[in-house]
Amino acid sequence: MPLTTETMVLNMGPHHPSTHGVLRFILRTDGEVIHMCRPDIGYLHRGLEKIAEQLPYAHFMPYTDRLDYLAAMNCNLGYAITVEQAADVEVPPRAEYIRVLVAELNRIISHLISVGTFAMDIGAVTPFTHTIREREWVNDLFEELCGARLTYNYIRFGGVAFDLPEGFLERLSQFLDYFEPRLEQYNRFISKNKIFKERLVGVAVISREQALDYALVGPNLRASGVDWDLRRDEPYSVYGDLEFDVPIGISEFGVVGDCYARYWVRIWEMEQSVGILRQCIAKMPEGPYLTKTKRKLQVEPGEIYVRTEAPRGELGFYLISRGGIRPHRLKIRTGSFSAMSIVEELGSGLMVADLVALIASLDVVAPEVDR
Amino acid sequence: MEAQGILERIKRIIGDADLVWVDDQPGDSYLVIPKEKLRRLAIYLKGDPHLAFDTLMCLSGVHNMGEHDEMEVVYHLYSLRHRHQFILKVTLDRPAFFPHFYLRVDSVSGIWPAAAWMEREAYDMFGIHFVGHNDFRRLLLPTDWEGHPLQKDYRESDAYRGIGTTREEIKGVLAEEIG
Repeated sequence: MPLTTETMVLNMGPHHPSTHGVLRFILRTDGEVIHMCRPDIGYLHRGLEKIAEQLPYAHFMPYTDRLDYLAAMNCNLGYAITVEQAADVEVPPRAEYIRVLVAELNRIISHLISVGTFAMDIGAVTPFTHTIREREWVNDLFEELCGARLTYNYIRFGGVAFDLPEGFLERLSQFLDYFEPRLEQYNRFISKNKIFKERLVGVAVISREQALDYALVGPNLRASGVDWDLRRDEPYSVYGDLEFDVPIGISEFGVVGDCYARYWVRIWEMEQSVGILRQCIAKMPEGPYLTKTKRKLQVEPGEIYVRTEAPRGELGFYLISRGGIRPHRLKIRTGSFSAMSIVEELGSGLMVADLVALIASLDVVAPEVDR
Repeated sequence: MEAQGILERIKRIIGDADLVWVDDQPGDSYLVIPKEKLRRLAIYLKGDPHLAFDTLMCLSGVHNMGEHDEMEVVYHLYSLRHRHQFILKVTLDRPAFFPHFYLRVDSVSGIWPAAAWMEREAYDMFGIHFVGHNDFRRLLLPTDWEGHPLQKDYRESDAYRGIGTTREEIKGVLAEEIG
């Protein structure tokens, strides 16, 4: 008698350790192979867009921290730039440099978490403790700067909330001197590890066309071989004055657009961020760090769509104003949302263990998906 | 290509009847098109080699409750090949009776797959129906949720599955438990 197999419906999540927050996948599996993968999101939906409509512009700033808690500075920055462009607020040069500095520092620690949890999801637990150790140092720096370690609420319309404390730039230099050789250490430790490679090379390949179709952004898009970075191609703040490379996925290690390429793009981006930070330290101008704005900022009627490059890709704010102190509509478009929407297509045909690698490589943060 | 050049090409393909180009306010300019022309135009915008809008950056619903009750669907398009962007808007009437018959627009998820989830979100939050979407259901809220929260006249119900949602009710439960 031939052996018959049956498909099984399996719930992965909402509290699965590899889902980085609360999200659920409904899988139809045949043995280890996934036939259908359906993401179920919304567990962390807090209605941020509705909240934004009820609050004066400045009061929404702390909520943007909660948008992507691993990159709160970048979310602050995106929102601040949007409102500044809509309301014509000037930002002094020192504030611009401080903003880029904190944004890149936040990008480094966000990628550290991404890389660390990536390895942990694959089964290598130790690298995470190493990346967390480096992140603690940066958290100490941020605490010195604004008093908070996770949700900073540091950037204001027209500048930043506090000036850099005494000796901050020296301590930042110390950190960079310590951190730069660490990257090479990670590479010896985990990136070039044979088991790690076997798990990732050629898994869940996203082609260039697929990446564009699903509007993937940031490192996920670049890993598929698309040479596009808002910081270079549509420079905002002072990125136009800084020199850096945009790493894209290459086929030297595996296939362009596979999980391994997505991993490497993040490692290389950290290298570039270190370079940007050193330039910021060297160029940091003196002067005021904040332009005084009205406590209740008014925005002329009109609409604007502004996107900035956050660690998880483009963060877009679509602001419609009908005049007054509150937005008429604020739509937030995040990188994790589009990354999550491609899982349904890529998931079928993978093994269950490879789905974990895929989710980790897309670097999805659940609150950013649900908003 | 500049926005004006894109506009000229669009007029050439779908005619300039009923097209409204809005550029008199600060910020971005956009084109309002009748909803019947959306699908045809979308295929053209993606397929034409001179326009080549390969990514749909953002799809948002908007609800306006001024003198006229209407909804908008806004498409932010970007072309990575030519590095230009364009904003399209479709306006939908929302009459007091049977609004769901009128809040209907063609889905563009077959043209830009990224739209699939964005349209589901717009339905979830605004109650706009996208015709031709192959997996059309709520995205963020539970399937048995009542209403669409980003509508300006939305009122949250007092309870969801027997769990109170008002502050008073939560206070009452806490008082009972803690005493």
